[in-house]
Amino acid sequence: MEFNNVIAKRTHKKIYRDGDKCIKMFDESFSKADILNEALNLAKVESISIRTPIVLEVSVIDGRWAIVTDFIEGETMLSVFEKDPSKIGEYMDKFVDLQIEVHNEKCPMLNNLSDKMERKISKTDFDATTRYDLHTRLAGMERKDQVCHGDFNPGNVIIQPNGEMAVIDWSHATQGNAAADVARTFLLFSLRSTEEIAELYLDTYCRKTDTPKQYIQAWTPIVAASQSVKAIEDEREFLKKWVNVVDYV
Amino acid sequence: MDNNRYEITDSVESFTQLLKRVRRAQEKFSHYSQEEVDRIFKAAATAANRARIPLAKMAVEETGMGVVEDKIMKNHYASEYIYNKYRDEKTCGVIYENKEYGFTQVAEPIGLIGAVIPTTNPTSTAIFKSLICLKTRNGIIISPHPRAKASTIEAAKIVLEAAVAAGAPEDIIGWIDVPSLELTQMLMRESDTILATGGPGMVHAAYSSGKPALGVGAGNTPAIIDETADILLAVNSIIHSKTFDNGMICASEQSVIVNEKIYDKVKNEFAARGCYFLSDSELTKVRKTILINGSLNAKIVGQRAATIAELAGVKVPEGTKILIGEVSRVDISEPFAHEKLSPVLAMYKATDIEDAMKKAERLIADGGFGHTSSIYLNVVTEQEKIERFRERMKTCRILINTPSSQGGIGDMYNFMLRPSLTLGCGSWGGNSVSENVGIKHLLNIKSVAERRNNMLWFKAPEKVYLKRGSTPVAVEELKEMGKKRCFIVTDEFLYKNGFTKPVEDKLEELGIAHTAFFDVQPDPTLASAEAGAKQMLSFEPDVIIAIGGGSAMDAAKIMWVLYEHPDADFEDMAMRFADIRKRIYKFPVMGQKAYFVCIPTSAGTGSEATPFAVITDQNTGNKYPLADYELMPDMAIVDADFQMTAPRGLTCASGIDVVSHDLEALVSTMATDYTDSLALQSLKMVFDYLPRAYELGAKDPEAREKMANAATMAGMAFANAFLGISHSLAHKLGAFHHLPHGICNALVLEEVIRYNASEVPGKMGTFPQYDHPMAQHKYAMAADVLGLGGRTDEEKVKRLIKAVADLKAKIDIKPTIKAYIPDEKVFLETLDEMSEKAFDDQCTGANPRYPLISDLKQIYLNAYYGKTFVEEAKPSAKDLKARAAKAAKAAKAPAKKAAAVKAPAKKAAAVKAAPKKAAAKKTSASSSAKKQGRKTK
Repeated sequence: MEFNNVIAKRTHKKIYRDGDKCIKMFDESFSKADILNEALNLAKVESISIRTPIVLEVSVIDGRWAIVTDFIEGETMLSVFEKDPSKIGEYMDKFVDLQIEVHNEKCPMLNNLSDKMERKISKTDFDATTRYDLHTRLAGMERKDQVCHGDFNPGNVIIQPNGEMAVIDWSHATQGNAAADVARTFLLFSLRSTEEIAELYLDTYCRKTDTPKQYIQAWTPIVAASQSVKAIEDEREFLKKWVNVVDYV
Repeated sequence: MDNNRYEITDSVESFTQLLKRVRRAQEKFSHYSQEEVDRIFKAAATAANRARIPLAKMAVEETGMGVVEDKIMKNHYASEYIYNKYRDEKTCGVIYENKEYGFTQVAEPIGLIGAVIPTTNPTSTAIFKSLICLKTRNGIIISPHPRAKASTIEAAKIVLEAAVAAGAPEDIIGWIDVPSLELTQMLMRESDTILATGGPGMVHAAYSSGKPALGVGAGNTPAIIDETADILLAVNSIIHSKTFDNGMICASEQSVIVNEKIYDKVKNEFAARGCYFLSDSELTKVRKTILINGSLNAKIVGQRAATIAELAGVKVPEGTKILIGEVSRVDISEPFAHEKLSPVLAMYKATDIEDAMKKAERLIADGGFGHTSSIYLNVVTEQEKIERFRERMKTCRILINTPSSQGGIGDMYNFMLRPSLTLGCGSWGGNSVSENVGIKHLLNIKSVAERRNNMLWFKAPEKVYLKRGSTPVAVEELKEMGKKRCFIVTDEFLYKNGFTKPVEDKLEELGIAHTAFFDVQPDPTLASAEAGAKQMLSFEPDVIIAIGGGSAMDAAKIMWVLYEHPDADFEDMAMRFADIRKRIYKFPVMGQKAYFVCIPTSAGTGSEATPFAVITDQNTGNKYPLADYELMPDMAIVDADFQMTAPRGLTCASGIDVVSHDLEALVSTMATDYTDSLALQSLKMVFDYLPRAYELGAKDPEAREKMANAATMAGMAFANAFLGISHSLAHKLGAFHHLPHGICNALVLEEVIRYNASEVPGKMGTFPQYDHPMAQHKYAMAADVLGLGGRTDEEKVKRLIKAVADLKAKIDIKPTIKAYIPDEKVFLETLDEMSEKAFDDQCTGANPRYPLISDLKQIYLNAYYGKTFVEEAKPSAKDLKARAAKAAKAAKAPAKKAAAVKAPAKKAAAVKAAPKKAAAKKTSASSSAKKQGRKTK
């Protein structure tokens, strides 16, 4: 296997291209269970109608875990966004359409979103009262079984040369209420781009699916709390503000 | 605090122990008397009241929200108002008793109540819920909010200790010390009812626990200030309410909608009373502060106005009462349109009352479905606006000229609204109750109902005149009554043959104007009744005399209806009813225009003494059987002179109809001693005189007169006891195959007796007084009256059947339907439809045996082929005896001698059982009969 062509570097992982293969290599610090879960998620979502990476191999290379998939040719939507910000409206439409397509899928083998959120809330540093309120809020949410990518952002959408789109990085995938997935994307936009783009995203999604905005917004304290588990310091204040709201009492 | 006295509940294990303790205490408590409970209730309320100040201080200190002095008032309210409301209410054992109606209600506790307590009103809600549980002998486990757990638990502890000191079982109140969602959810699953005050999440969790929940939700109270409002009262009430406990009561006003005509005055009054109006730039800042992603910022809840302003970066005077934002959008994109739980208020301008209500509706729909709305106006002049407001607001509390915080919880500004700190929001708010929750929601009420009989009656025409030649005398009375215009209804034959003449002559003599309608056909149609009624409407009679048989009298009754109520709908009038007392249709009142007289010309129908009439729609063929006591004739003249020359066929068919009336009234589930005496006597008269009247006609005036009376007596009997399936079957047979009504009855009569006389009917008729199968005995009574002999009821019924058959033969009625409808195919084609329609006939309801459609079909078939009804085999008391004997024999088997002694007795039993065995054997012979459960022989 060739490791010369590095496509991306993250804190705890490196991604290489080797011909028509893509190799994701993890640090020693990375949890084995998380790596295997990511590979398993990928295998599970191969059944949906959207193009996703095909798992070819999971192995240990030089003492490090690696997931080998096929390589999806193309450019991420993020870089297309950045190249031509004037076309943001057009791309946002496509982006939201693709996310809705994902949400229309079923994948009964995936983990449950609410279970995952419940675990995450328990892991946060918020005080007992806030966690209690968050748990209560989560318990009151409508349960569904839509496929949720969990990290749906333009960086994980690839526009292939033929114009068709693919979705990569399914490590956070679950099944549950798509509103949570949308709230997370809204949060990601709010954190990484501007408030205007985040609002544009939310408006586009709500318009296309005829969903009341507050149905999505009800999830924001929960996704903000779960995001805070691994958040960097300067994001924490922002997330805390999102979390510190009341339902009524 | 003495924490050591109580076990700490902080885990699933300790919670399980807590559950056991409270359950055990509640079991004990459930046996307490009303006196004991009331003593405990008083002691607990008193203790809570005494602790109102420390508890209020503790709550504010712990939660950092609200106003101590207002929380004191809430604690005061939760103890004093609740005690005062329920002090004298019965909650233990018998709470209502009505001996006459045999109805008692008994109150029982529900058991374990799971209570979720919010942070906004921690101590007062804990006091409230604990007290109403004590009053209702329930145990309660409280799940406090972590933000307010110390003060919530302290309040519960104070109530518990006072209750226990007054004699309550220890552990009757419990709590979770370290609240977690896991334990809260466990509490919801384990309790018998949940009193969940909390946000949508908590309420949803309560409802999804699978246990009954009294959950309540968010409010978003709009207050409309109408142009007619007392502005001083309105503005100051709203300030008073909105600032109460820093706006944390869920019924508190969130927005005020002001008519533009008084907008400036209202604004000035708010400003003059210390409220701060935000400028545009300040508004933007405050918007961002109160709402985050559509949810309320936790930091502003229950804070002072100045504190909230500071958080938003707006400078206001320290003593500012309320921050008011003048806004225009009522949808949720406007942060001010949300529930704010703080002294922050939205203010809208409305062009008129319609605009104001529209805005209020929207605000409620978006945030406060089912909770509370309020309006300020002049109640003297604006009742119409109140009506519109209450019609349109989807809220369970609608307050007029009332501060909503203090008004919504009840008993402060209106003394009929139940005091409560748990306000139901109805289905609009996803709640199971729409009222202010109280003790009635924490009781299981048992209703104890003793069997009672329906009141029965005997109704007959006001006047029944009899004896031959009595007609002119009776008609004279019409003159005395002041009648001036008489309308005669009859058929063509009678009219042309001078039957109406004696009456017309008498009317002439008396100077009563009269006219006659004689176009009545057998099975009278609606068209002919309408023609008659039309004539009536132009003649305007004050008395109607029907002269004829059933057809003329029925037609006259319908004309009478159409004359008095031209818009009457026969479809409605003919609607089947299960109980005449409860019928849906209310028959119009009759007799306001005309007095109704009947003179029967044949002895049979009894219509002169019944409240029934049948009319046929000539277009659809539908028969409308009408039944209501409004249709009862006012006067019946039973003058046999009118019946002397009746043809033999008519004498036969109408005479045998009387037999069916008598027998059906006799065995009806609604039969009374009064109807029985008439039916039995009438029956005897028919058996004695019908053959003579049939044979000799006008030559036997005595027989004619007896038959005339027998028919009217039978009419009186079935006018009150109603009929049975003989008539149900006859109605459909007559309608489908155009046979005379009396003949149709005659053809099924014996089969119906056989069917009804069963001591083990498949199903009994339903009526309170019909408490066991009685038909056999009633038929036996008839046999006795007829002097037929026989030792047992069973034997008597057999003789009665034979006597009926003999009577039919004497008057030349053929024995089977086949004799009248020789073509089998024609009969069988209609059989299923006839059977089903017969089942649905109005007469079926009073039959002593509730028939299956298949039974009716079988009766038709038997009556067609001349076969007889056989019951399906059923277990009997004899089987039981035989089995007992067998068991006894087995037990004594070793002692052979003893068994031998018993043997003869057993043999005798076997002999007795023999006929039954034979019947059973026959039954099993036919496999198709087995399927139907019965067969013919």
